[in-house]
Amino acid sequence: MQDPLQASLKIAGSGLEAQASRLRIISQNIANSQSTASTPGGDPYVRQTVAFDSEMDRAAGVALVRVKSIGEDTAPFKVEQDPGNPAADSAGFVKLPNVDVLTELADMREANRTYEANLQVAKQSSDMLNQTISLLKDV
Amino acid sequence: MSEVYLFQLASQRTQWLNARQAIIAANVANANTPGFRAQDLAPFSSVLDNTAASMSVTDPSHIEPATSELNAFQANAEDGADTTLSGNSVNLESEMIKIGDISREASAANAIKKTFHQMMLAALK
Repeated sequence: MQDPLQASLKIAGSGLEAQASRLRIISQNIANSQSTASTPGGDPYVRQTVAFDSEMDRAAGVALVRVKSIGEDTAPFKVEQDPGNPAADSAGFVKLPNVDVLTELADMREANRTYEANLQVAKQSSDMLNQTISLLKDV
Repeated sequence: MSEVYLFQLASQRTQWLNARQAIIAANVANANTPGFRAQDLAPFSSVLDNTAASMSVTDPSHIEPATSELNAFQANAEDGADTTLSGNSVNLESEMIKIGDISREASAANAIKKTFHQMMLAALK
């Protein structure tokens, strides 16, 4: 069986990885919150979503976390009347992305919080390993 | 149980703490996983009760009692009062408190080992 402390470092690492890719998707959404289509009447940027899943690590017998899938938000696009826009259709309506920046910011805070918690666990696991090793010092 | 069983007790304690750290790490990593239930280990006192008074094998047909490995420590799904809409019952604050406890208790167990080792060395000198 794997050492539980090594396992917790691995778990915390998987958590950091998952939250980091979540943050990547969030920044992508915010950056593209005004990205309209390149053709008249076309669809703009579609908001991306991240789904997490718990993954069993057979060797260590613990639950890691992984990004299950990156999906697309099915919410309707916002529509604006702007005939001068290159992406406007024949009636002068422009489709804007279904990204709500406020929701993305709230999501970002949550990702940040969980990232910090995982970092704390990783830090402490390595502290505990070091403590055990330092038992050998000054004997 | 040998006469010098303090080392065994302290390392059992460390084993339990390490196992608990792994469980808490899994909880924190899955803090945003839908449907994940927070888990925790059975308290150390119950582990101690199970191992201290274990039955001995006096006949070949007897089944040897399970040793206190990580798998023997039961991970209990907690009844989280605050389960989110997605079915996740991890509370980051309480998990942080738990890893603080583990850190403190691990330091104590290590200090005990160190002190006892020094005592044995003092007796030998």
